Formats: sequence, C-alpha cells, structure tokens
Amino acid sequence: MISNEIQFHAPGSLAEALDLLASEGEDLTVLSGGMSLLPMMNLGIVRPSKVLSLNRVSELGHVTERDGQIVIGAMVRHQRVATDPLIQRHAPLLAAARVVGDVQVRNRGTIGGSVAHADPSADYLPALAAAGGSITLSSARGERTLSPDEFFIDLMFTSREPEEIVSAVTVPKLPDGWRSAYQRLARVEGSFAIVNAAAVLAGDRSVATVALGGVGPRAVAVDATEQLSDGVDEQALARVGEAVYEAARDATGDLMSDATYRREMAVVFAKRALRQAAGLADARVGSGPAGPGAGSGPAGQDSSNAEARS
Amino acid sequence: MKTTIHVRVNGTDQQVEIDTRMIVADMLRERLRLTGVHIGCATGNCGACTVFLDGVTVKSCCVLAADVDGAEITTVEALSSGPDDLHPIQQAFVDNQGLQCGFCTPGMILSTKALLESNPNPTEDEIRHGIAGNLCRCTGYHFIVKSIQAAAERLNGSAATD
Repeated sequence: MISNEIQFHAPGSLAEALDLLASEGEDLTVLSGGMSLLPMMNLGIVRPSKVLSLNRVSELGHVTERDGQIVIGAMVRHQRVATDPLIQRHAPLLAAARVVGDVQVRNRGTIGGSVAHADPSADYLPALAAAGGSITLSSARGERTLSPDEFFIDLMFTSREPEEIVSAVTVPKLPDGWRSAYQRLARVEGSFAIVNAAAVLAGDRSVATVALGGVGPRAVAVDATEQLSDGVDEQALARVGEAVYEAARDATGDLMSDATYRREMAVVFAKRALRQAAGLADARVGSGPAGPGAGSGPAGQDSSNAEARS
Repeated sequence: MKTTIHVRVNGTDQQVEIDTRMIVADMLRERLRLTGVHIGCATGNCGACTVFLDGVTVKSCCVLAADVDGAEITTVEALSSGPDDLHPIQQAFVDNQGLQCGFCTPGMILSTKALLESNPNPTEDEIRHGIAGNLCRCTGYHFIVKSIQAAAERLNGSAATD
C-alpha cells in the first residue's frame, strides 16, 4: 500500500473539480489515467497528500469537431484516440496513440494526462508539434489555449498553474491532400520511445514539417519546406537530416542511448517519417495493419497514416 | 483515510472498506481474497495484476481503489469454478504448456480473453501485440502464443457448434 495518507477527491463535474483546484490547487495532485502517477506513488517517488481524480468528469471525455479543428477532451483514453473515426480521419498523427504503452495502458491512460506529464519521449509530443496542435488549460477563472512551445517548458515541466488542469488537446484538421506519418524507435513494445518523429507534408510541399521527440527536454519542430520544395528524394532528405541533427543538439544521453546516438537516430527517423508521408517505400518499414497494437514490430514501430488522406 | 466503496466483482455486488491509499490489486487480494490477481512490479510493466475494469483490461496496480466506486471488475476467478471446470483459454494453456512458474498466467489469460473477444482469429503478430503488456519472467512466450492459438481454435469451434 502507498505509504502516505491520501485525501481523495473525485468530483463529478468540471466545475466542481475547478472549484477544488481554486481553493486547494497547491496541495492537489491531479490524477487522470494514472499510468505514470500511480507507478511513481507505488514507488514512493511522488507522495501526494491530496489527489484529485478526473475519472468522473465526463465532460472531459468527448471528441468533437469545432471550427476546422478536432478537440479531444483530456480524459479521452489512448485506445479511443487510436480508434475514434473523427481523429483517424482528420488528425491521423494523433492516432500515433496506437503505439502508446500496451493494451492495458491504452485502455486507461489519457491524452490529457500524457500531455500534462510532459515526458519528452511521449508519443503525442512530436505529433502535436508537427500538426500545429494546441493545449487548453482550464481553471475557475476561465480557460487559455497554448501552443506546444508555450505549454511545454522543460523536462516534465509545463506552464500549467496549480489551479489549472489540461482540459483539451486540439489539432487542426489535416487539409485534403496532406499526408502525415509517425515513426518511433524503442527497444521493446510498450517502452517509451528513444527517439520519435512526426511528419506533415502538404500535397504541393508548400508545407513540410518534421518534429522530433527524445532529443531534448521537449519536442523540436524542423521546417523542411525549403529543402523539400523540389521534391522528396534522398539528396533533399540528406539536407533535412543535417537540419534535424542541428535541431537535436540539446539531446542528452541516458543508460539506454547516448546523446550522439539520439541525434543520429533522430536523423534516421525524421527521414523515415518524411519518406512515408511522401508515399515513398522504405524497405525497413512495413505498413502494419490498422488498429491498436498493430505495427511493424518492436523496433522502429510504424504508425503511418499516410493512406488516410491520399 | 478510510472509506467505503461499492463494486461489482465477478458478478457479485460488494461493499468494501478501503483505505484511500489502496490500489485495486490490493483491494482485490486483501479485502476480497481474490489472490489470482498477482502483483509483480506495481509499476504497470508486468501485467500480472491485469483485470477487467468496466469491460476493458487494465493493470490493477495502477488504479486507486477509491477511483473504482461503482465499477464492475472481473478477475481470473470468474472464469472457472475449479480444476474440473477450466475455461477453454485456461485449458488451452494447460494443454500447450503455456505456463511454467504460473505467476504471469492470470494476466496472460485475461489479456487473451480481451484479445479473442475483439479479434477471434488473431495472427501470431496480433497475438504478440495483444500480450505485449504481460511479461513472462520464465520467457515462455513461444508456448503462450501456441496456447492462445489453440484457445482461439477451441473457442471458434465451440461457437460454430453452439
């Protein structure tokens, strides 16, 4: 059993949750799916005295289309992100969720929790950066919407104030003719990515972006429009690779992979994502069957959505 | 902090006294004596504590008991009344040596159940993805996959004759 006493709150509405945060925000630890928080509590790394569970706040569990954007409530679980028709059709990069963790983790973990936790290797982070997504924070005083650059500050550190919660993640609908792809490098399925890459490519290549995770405290987006303006070939991709290597200069090493390895893999996976978004074959990457848990294999998992909007 | 929750476990409504510090796995083991729920890591990695929570599999070490008030839980105990009444998935694991030490088995069985309910004819690849959240420290995956294939055949066969 967790060693410290916990005062547990599970309000049934967003208004109640925000009122509680307004009065006791400093002391409250917000719990959504708990896929990162509970392990930390079990290990005693985090010892919250008061827990606010959002699991009864049904208002945060919706996926809607609004003003050309797909709005995903913070409590939408990964499994739903991976399979929701609106998200699959209009925000295919976020269906990257199908490689988050494993079946049980996807059944419980939430997009809002993952974003709020701000692990730099999380699957959504480069996807949000590449897709031009935004994060909505709510408090009793109102709400504000931030770009990933404004929201993510440093390793597991965001601009969320104690009286706020992440209430939604929003991404613009991918325009017709645009394609996107997501690639990740991990030792085994279910583990956090060492490096991950999300690419968005306009049909006429007027926009070409690739965002990388795992190469610094937050995702970095690289604008590859200039390099790819004449077409996506290996020479052009090599030039994008140089920009990616430079953009990944803040990479730090850990037990699994040192900084240089991460930078070099960022180049490899950025190219793979761009090739895939461009519809080019990459012999090392299979196109796994659609659906949660599907992919080409444990290493270099393929979460292409290139076919979704051809 | 002590509190009382109401849960429906394996088809029976239960009123359970819990501490707000308690995880679902501990509640099931210590309060309800459902010791088929195994705790291997308590960090959401090994999957030995897998249970169905409101119809989907979760790792019960990573859910607070206080957070499941009103929920419905199914553990491996619901699958069988005893050794002479094994569920087809359990029988397939026995027949194919899908277990060695047995510690991961309850989680493997429930993940198999979830997989076969959504995908009655999984490929080997789909099976391996389906049990990616369950670790076998004996590394007996080969026979576990074989057991799941046998379970699928058995369940499909019985469905056809029903």
